[in-house]
Amino acid sequence: MTDCESAREQLLAYHDGELPAEQRQAVETHLLSCPDCAREAALIGEVLDRVRTLSVPEPPPEFWETFGRDLHRRMADVPSPQPPWWVKAAEWIHGVVPPRAVPVLATATAVGLLLAIGLIRTHRAPHDAPPAEALVITEDMGIGQNLEILESFDLLQEMDVLERLDVLRQLDRTGRPGLT
Amino acid sequence: MSQPDFEVIQRVLAGETAAFDRLVAQYQQEIYRLAFRMTRNAEDAKDLAQETFIQAYRSLGTFRGHSRFYTWLYRIAMNLCLNHLKASARQDPTQVDEQLPDSRADSLSVLLKDERDRALDEAIKTLPPQQKATLTLRVQQGLGHKEIAEILECSEGTAKANYFHAVRTLQRRLAAFREPE
Repeated sequence: MTDCESAREQLLAYHDGELPAEQRQAVETHLLSCPDCAREAALIGEVLDRVRTLSVPEPPPEFWETFGRDLHRRMADVPSPQPPWWVKAAEWIHGVVPPRAVPVLATATAVGLLLAIGLIRTHRAPHDAPPAEALVITEDMGIGQNLEILESFDLLQEMDVLERLDVLRQLDRTGRPGLT
Repeated sequence: MSQPDFEVIQRVLAGETAAFDRLVAQYQQEIYRLAFRMTRNAEDAKDLAQETFIQAYRSLGTFRGHSRFYTWLYRIAMNLCLNHLKASARQDPTQVDEQLPDSRADSLSVLLKDERDRALDEAIKTLPPQQKATLTLRVQQGLGHKEIAEILECSEGTAKANYFHAVRTLQRRLAAFREPE
């Protein structure tokens, strides 16, 4: 059974013929028994009828003659429309290259682009390799510092995972264990 | 898009600019009526309709054919009408352009009906532009919500909401008038 709130929400769709049959029937049944909603539905119907029948006065025939004349006059200085540059390029290609060669040309262009991208990537210096300066610094670390690091590794065995990670991070930064 | 429209557009873009007259002849009445429904003023409607075709001619190279030509043309027309309405509202918010025909005063009910019609007409004119646009396209042009959303460049939900609010506003205006017992 449809209540008033539900019925009123559907009244516009009802008038526009957009409700499925079952819902339409439910709304109609409700309107038969509810004067308030019926009045609401009647108002909506009147609004839509009025809007629909608002007339557009038909201009006289000479109106369209002057319309066209005025339009031409206003368009006299407007540049002729042109297709976008990529359309012109495509038309030029179609005019110069035989139709059967177009897919071959497109494939060759795509392969060429892929090869070029691959070559560029191959010759680029790898980012993840540490710079030479970093290796030099490591070699210059004193034996004492290395011993401290070795001691830290013993201590690591007694620590849980998260603490180990913190220590490792500290070691990585300073070469010293971050122990408290 | 209808084949004739597409072919005419291609001919215009190829340099046969006179072919644009065919598109004008085909759509001028429709665009004029749309502009009149939005503005309720014949001179404004004529000017806006001509401006629609000028804009369409200027932008014809950008029409990609993804939508129907008349949808694209309607979009140009509605944008021009909406800008016009906003500019008019700023200049004179109380302006009333259309004169309704005189009513016969031979009965109270006729008088009251005329008053209701005038009140409704006035309410339609003073609707917010987007609501008026949606109402015009839906009820007077008979377009679906999806197409209206495409023309007005909004979501389908927004188009439906504008339509709902427009009808609700007019309904409340009408409810203020009561028939005599």
